[in-house]
Amino acid sequence: MKRFVGLFVGMLALVALAACGSKPQGPKIVIENAWGRPSPKVATAGAFYMTIRNEGTEDDALIGADSDACGTIELHESYMKEGGAMGMRPVPGGKIVIPAGETVELKMGGLHIMCIDKQVDFQPGTKVKLILHFEKSGDIPIEVEIRNPMN
Amino acid sequence: MLRNRHFWFGFIGTLLLVGLGWWAWDRFRPYAFHGTVLQSNEPAPDFTLMSANGPVSLSDFRGKIVLLYFGYTFCPDVCPTTLTELKRAMEVLGDDADQVQVIMVSVDPERDTPEKVQEYVEYFWPTFLGVTGTPDQIAEVATQYGIYYEKREVPGATGYLMDHTATVTVVDKDGYIKLIFPFGTPGEDIAADLKYLIDH
Repeated sequence: MKRFVGLFVGMLALVALAACGSKPQGPKIVIENAWGRPSPKVATAGAFYMTIRNEGTEDDALIGADSDACGTIELHESYMKEGGAMGMRPVPGGKIVIPAGETVELKMGGLHIMCIDKQVDFQPGTKVKLILHFEKSGDIPIEVEIRNPMN
Repeated sequence: MLRNRHFWFGFIGTLLLVGLGWWAWDRFRPYAFHGTVLQSNEPAPDFTLMSANGPVSLSDFRGKIVLLYFGYTFCPDVCPTTLTELKRAMEVLGDDADQVQVIMVSVDPERDTPEKVQEYVEYFWPTFLGVTGTPDQIAEVATQYGIYYEKREVPGATGYLMDHTATVTVVDKDGYIKLIFPFGTPGEDIAADLKYLIDH
């Protein structure tokens, strides 16, 4: 009996060792602070902002998103043109790369998820369900809080 | 003892002088604006555009400080960011806010009706005014104010987007262009400049 227990404990130790030894491979995406600005109904488009962190060992990329609250979703960025004018364009290549070990900020006046043909009112306190599509990590469902920007 | 007394006279005298100097410098130094100051001899070009309640001219607001912003309601990021800062400025100004009139001119007359622009800007602050006009009228006003805008077709559901100068132009109480706020100027800084213009 004692021998069996010893064997069992030994096997457990081996499994634990194996778990420790092999680093998790691939990307590991963490989404934080997802929010959107309140906007009037006549504003057909809205923007979502968030912090995307890749704690993994491999690059990943945000390639799109879906939500019942939006007719269509596109990944856009605002940028300053020559002469100080502001422009907005779909992100180059249609994706936002999240390099391994790095953090990418989607923020006002920069990268954002554009919600076209809003289906709901973006009132403060509203929670919008959003499914983010990543190249490698697949679908990640999140909740976007509609609130006023903090200074 | 006598030496000691001399020392203290000198010491306190110096302190007083330094204090007085600091006070005078603080009191009389020229105010440093956060926005870019423009000195123009010509009054700001007058224009008449269409609001939800009929035609509106810049000259209707003589005696108030007018903040002109060119934008469009389909704009989900840049325009709301600026309008939020302007809202912040109005909050900071408090009672003085009624001496300031924000006017957003739509650079997207194809999609923006006067009613639509009005509903859009009112969402940010009840006294904000939205105006639009024919494409020719908008082009004329924008040119007069050095505002660049361009319609750009993009692939996807948006159809087209507008690139536009995202600065805020400040017309003073006498109808002269006084300041330009670049994109991203904090509402607090805008309020400080406007407060100075209101008080002086």
